[in-house]
Amino acid sequence: MRYMKLMLEYLKNYVKSRMTYRADFWIEVISDLLQQGMNLIFILIVFQHTPLLGGWTQSEVIFVYGFFMVPFGVFNTFFNIWNFGERYIVKGEMDRVLTRPAHSLYQVLLENMDPPSLFGSIVGMIVMAVCWLEMGLTLQAIDIVVFIVLVLGAVFIYGGIYTALSALSFYSDSPTGIVPLMYNIQNYGRYPVNIYNKLIRFVLTWILPFAFVGIIPASYFLEPKEDDISKLALLTPVVGLVVLGIGLFIWNRGVKRYRGAGS
Amino acid sequence: MLAIDVKDLRKQFKVQKNRVGLSGAFKDLFKREYTHVTAVNDITFQIPQGEICGYIGENGAGKSTTIKMLTGILVPTSGELNVNGYVPHRDREKFVKGIGVVFGQRSQLWWDIGVIESFQLLRKVYDVPLNDFNRRLDQLVERLHLGELLNRPVRKLSLGQRMRCELVASLLHNPAIVFLDEPTIGLDIVVKTEIRDFLLEMNRQEGTTILLTTHDLQDIEALCSRVIMLDDGSIIYDGGLEELKTTWSKGREIQFQFGEAMSISRLHQLTSTMNVAWTRENEFTATLFVPHEVNFSEAMGLVVGGAQIRDIKIFETNTDDIVRGIYQTGSAEVKESEDNTQADHVQEKESVLS
Repeated sequence: MRYMKLMLEYLKNYVKSRMTYRADFWIEVISDLLQQGMNLIFILIVFQHTPLLGGWTQSEVIFVYGFFMVPFGVFNTFFNIWNFGERYIVKGEMDRVLTRPAHSLYQVLLENMDPPSLFGSIVGMIVMAVCWLEMGLTLQAIDIVVFIVLVLGAVFIYGGIYTALSALSFYSDSPTGIVPLMYNIQNYGRYPVNIYNKLIRFVLTWILPFAFVGIIPASYFLEPKEDDISKLALLTPVVGLVVLGIGLFIWNRGVKRYRGAGS
Repeated sequence: MLAIDVKDLRKQFKVQKNRVGLSGAFKDLFKREYTHVTAVNDITFQIPQGEICGYIGENGAGKSTTIKMLTGILVPTSGELNVNGYVPHRDREKFVKGIGVVFGQRSQLWWDIGVIESFQLLRKVYDVPLNDFNRRLDQLVERLHLGELLNRPVRKLSLGQRMRCELVASLLHNPAIVFLDEPTIGLDIVVKTEIRDFLLEMNRQEGTTILLTTHDLQDIEALCSRVIMLDDGSIIYDGGLEELKTTWSKGREIQFQFGEAMSISRLHQLTSTMNVAWTRENEFTATLFVPHEVNFSEAMGLVVGGAQIRDIKIFETNTDDIVRGIYQTGSAEVKESEDNTQADHVQEKESVLS
């Protein structure tokens, strides 16, 4: 409860400090959306050459992409910690965080909140709605509840993985290479995983479960396919909690190893 | 009751050794070598509630590392630690509610928003009831004259203004112990004095325990009844400031202005029976160094009786010199070799002369 209030306070301050940089705000929103738009165009181009992709139609693949955008936007809003190592470890700002009475990760997340990313989520929902209508699916109340649970699970998966990655800065001086690598791997989770070979599919499902932020939960709403991955969809929140738990564990252990910077 | 209780506290850092040259860099890539650096080496001290204690030492002596362990930022390698009834790194979140921390080199405030907004955010972070907060804020704002600064964004404040705001930020939750890491660094004398007065008053009125590190010994003289001196990770002195001065000042200096031109040999002749040293500044001015074991009035008498004198000034060795001396020798405990160092001192003076 106290943590919810704190989030509101930080949000208020975000708005206050951002009022001065309004142009910045819109540029960020637009560049975010342009990037997502490019990815969608890529999907459209692929479907110019083939009617089906691993048994999935164009509308379905775009639906999956739309679904992915929702947790991805939420994740980017609340886990905007790409520069954690640089800012908090190298420059020693972690000192300040650790002298305040709230969980250190929570403080770092709040200090870096990036609400413009939520626009991506909104666009994602619009994309989903359009595909939904195009495919003529029916909408039941329960679908909305399931949707929210799946999105939360997916956000937890992303959050857990990036928390763990950021926490690597506590263990190593400059683990810079691994974040771009991860950024590339995560992209594979947006497309039907059965188009990849078995090994990659296994990795994306059970090792770095990026399939659980896109294709698997989204398939819950679609027609069942041959290798029915939609059965796994309801596991999403479970996987989410496990991954977030692992991320927090690595973080908490890392904080104990924090060594500060300079004087 | 003890505010801070530290026993055999140690912090070691594992530091990667970088080998020289390109081939060294390749070797490092595959097999790294580490060395252990002991930043704080088994230190033990206690600070009772309500004391202002100065923590001094050269750069890299381990001051900041100690402060960071005491505030729960770093986890000690070994040793026992109890601050305000908590083990800092273990119950960090509960513990930090009872302490205030100011790092002179680093801002605690949010850069882009108004000072008052930073304070209000801190109120939420520390969960301070609104009434307490308002009362406390009014008090602090009045004492540190922040009135007109409150609505300005932090990035538009001068260093002195910012530091006063930092102090307020660290005190809003009414902490029992305050840690100040170089709180007066880079400030002008007016702001320094203001901050010192404020800290003294707070200590008197509220019994706040204060531990501060500084390179400005005037801070120590103005505030601290006790000094802990650190060198290379170990405590080399722990005690009163006066005591430090009396055991470590080696003597007094007297500056004479003579009515006639004095040569070096004449000066030496005057005090030939005593173990003292002369430094000649110009034809008419010279300084006499009188160690404590030499009878002061006798030395004065010899000079006054043997030459025509216009003016006399007496200098007590100041803390800066004493501390510099200790830093250079690296120990405050060399009582037995004190005589030697004193002799050295005299010789040094003489070698300047010749």
